[in-house]
Amino acid sequence: MSESGPRAATDARDDRPAVRPPPRRRRRPWTRWQRKAEEVRLAATTGVKAALGRAFAPVGTARTGAARWIEPRRRFVIPTAAFLTIAIAAILPLLKEWFDLPGWMLRATSGGSLSRVALFTLFALGLNVVVGFAGLLDLGYVAFWAIGAYTAAILTGARDFTRTLRTTEGVIPQPEWEMWMWLILFAALGVAVFAGIVLGSPTLRLRGDYLAIVTLGFGEIIRVTANNVGFTLGPQGISNIPHPAIQVGPVDLEWKTFLDNKYYWLLLSFVVLWIIAISLLDRSRVGRAWVAIREDEVAAAAMGVPVVRMKIAAFVIGACTAGVGGVIYAEQINTVSPGTFTIFQSILILSAVVIGGMGSTAGSIVGAIIVVLLPEIFREFESYRFFVFGLALIVVMIFRPQGLIPSRRRKAELKGAMVEEQLFDAAGGEPL
Amino acid sequence: MDGCFDSLVRQFWDQTVNGLTAGAIYAMIALGYTMVYGVLQLINFAHSEVFMVSTVVSLHALKEWFGVTGAIHGATLIFVFLGVLLAACLSSGVTALTIERFAYRPLRRRGAPRLSFLISAIGASLAIQYLFALMDGRHALLFWTLPNLQGPAPRQVPRFVQTEQLFSLFGTTVNNKHVLVVGVSLVMLFLLDRFVNVTRIGRGIRAVAQDPEAASMMGVNIDRVVVTTFFIGGVMAGAAGLLFLVFLGGSSHWQIGFILGIKAFSAAVLGGIGNIRGAMLGGILLGLAEKYGGSCFGTEWETAISFVVLVLVLLIKPSGLLGERVRT
Repeated sequence: MSESGPRAATDARDDRPAVRPPPRRRRRPWTRWQRKAEEVRLAATTGVKAALGRAFAPVGTARTGAARWIEPRRRFVIPTAAFLTIAIAAILPLLKEWFDLPGWMLRATSGGSLSRVALFTLFALGLNVVVGFAGLLDLGYVAFWAIGAYTAAILTGARDFTRTLRTTEGVIPQPEWEMWMWLILFAALGVAVFAGIVLGSPTLRLRGDYLAIVTLGFGEIIRVTANNVGFTLGPQGISNIPHPAIQVGPVDLEWKTFLDNKYYWLLLSFVVLWIIAISLLDRSRVGRAWVAIREDEVAAAAMGVPVVRMKIAAFVIGACTAGVGGVIYAEQINTVSPGTFTIFQSILILSAVVIGGMGSTAGSIVGAIIVVLLPEIFREFESYRFFVFGLALIVVMIFRPQGLIPSRRRKAELKGAMVEEQLFDAAGGEPL
Repeated sequence: MDGCFDSLVRQFWDQTVNGLTAGAIYAMIALGYTMVYGVLQLINFAHSEVFMVSTVVSLHALKEWFGVTGAIHGATLIFVFLGVLLAACLSSGVTALTIERFAYRPLRRRGAPRLSFLISAIGASLAIQYLFALMDGRHALLFWTLPNLQGPAPRQVPRFVQTEQLFSLFGTTVNNKHVLVVGVSLVMLFLLDRFVNVTRIGRGIRAVAQDPEAASMMGVNIDRVVVTTFFIGGVMAGAAGLLFLVFLGGSSHWQIGFILGIKAFSAAVLGGIGNIRGAMLGGILLGLAEKYGGSCFGTEWETAISFVVLVLVLLIKPSGLLGERVRT
């Protein structure tokens, strides 16, 4: 897109015959709305392009110095470890058939709680892009989950079915899951991206903690709207969302109940896909832009980082992650109602990201596991668990603000912040 | 929605009186947000729980300490009201101090980034909420049985103030509750304004809000200022809690804080965060906007209206109506 400016008057090739290049058509200056549209288009495509570019980048570039040491590790150790982890994660639901498990492990590896872990891992990965990579505190993440779930509920025809079910008597045939229904995933992706742009483009210009409150407000507005509007069938919500199925030739997969292990595997494969995409993204130009914005927005803008566009890109990627998760959630649970999408869920996902370590992918996974499984395992102490959870958030923030598995870059930032702030404390006149 | 304008016109003065009453309560809670923001530059997310504690404690004091079950009149009413007000203010002041001591001060000592403050405030908020949900007299924490204060179910408040029509204004009858809420909050807001603008410690608060480093060089004890700010914010929220319980709500609940907190925060932003008089103005305006909007679109949208106001203010004029007082 770089256009050379007008030729300088003192060109070295002045003596040449004056064959002028044909006068270039000067583009008419864009109107304000065209500029905005371009901004939005770039924001929506930047992330995808960067991920693809990374994936197909030429591999055989020269390696010198430290890279020579790191390369073997990258080539062998990391893929092996990743493969083993995925394999272990995939066989978890089968353990209870092979071994005699103690009660707490039974609860932890039941189809329901495992797929909940996978779902929250997906959400935590998405929110980690927003909070950890780009440094935007989003307290209304549940809104995108709700948008994905409601998109699925409406597009599968479950809404119309539920409406007739509630208004008419007699037996009504259950809607069947058609093959093309998998397109709903993409539709929800599109809707979530759209919602992300709509919510993000006005708000992302705000200061950090204002952004937190506004996103919180948006999360509540979505919930209140779903509660009050006839379009989403109000507080009762939409039920009878069909389970998905794949029936192509010899393949005959059917997801039957919400405890089905296949849901866990479906979600797990999405998690793996997302981890790959996000780590590529993190190392791309976009990822570096996010770091720059997070560390110093003004400096980033001065270096030519398109700040708002990059923020919207992060927001959109977070949104479409939640949208996809929302679709699978709706199909698994079969019911969506506004009561599910409370502020508490947003906080739960956020604390998964924070406990694990902001900006660290492994951290998000560990955080999601902790946030979902610990309450599941300690079910006997049901009424105490969120009290303890709140205290744990404070304790983590005081003693380990970088999280359990910190990202290296983020950790360095936090240390830098401490050195800077000590000046202030010294001025406070109190011994540290 | 076709009757929107009609119903608004018909109920205009009714809704004005209601809006002023609600707005006075929002203003008192908003002060806690705005003062802490002025001094520490952070959103005290746990302030909503301070309000919740005050509603719970005032209900407990009313029922258990003063043994009120029905309507009371005259001097007894005044005595009971002041007693409960004292208990509510003290309890929520102490809650605010506890939050400051355990959730904020360790982080300030370490110079943590602002995100950590927000998350630890969310943690404190969760912990307090669920602690009060546990307080039904049957649960114990370690070796200490929790008192029977709240529990998971909402508790009803005895109707101890009888509604009396006092006078009529533009065809709307104003009752003693409206007058009492607005009166009490006006007195408290006036006292606070004088406190911040006249006294020595109030001068300290203003100094720290402007420039903490310079203030500490001039001999202002920053920690004392912060503690005072939290306590005052807590006391205001405490009074608001009692007023809310008796005149708007009617029952106490452990999750009551969240929605009121968001409304009050919107009010603080509307008036310009960090600006004390702005919070008062913002509270009143938000109360009015909410009631007008509620009569227009239906009361179930009242909550959404405050969010919409918040978003609009932040988009159009982020510094609020009276301008924010934020150090650069």
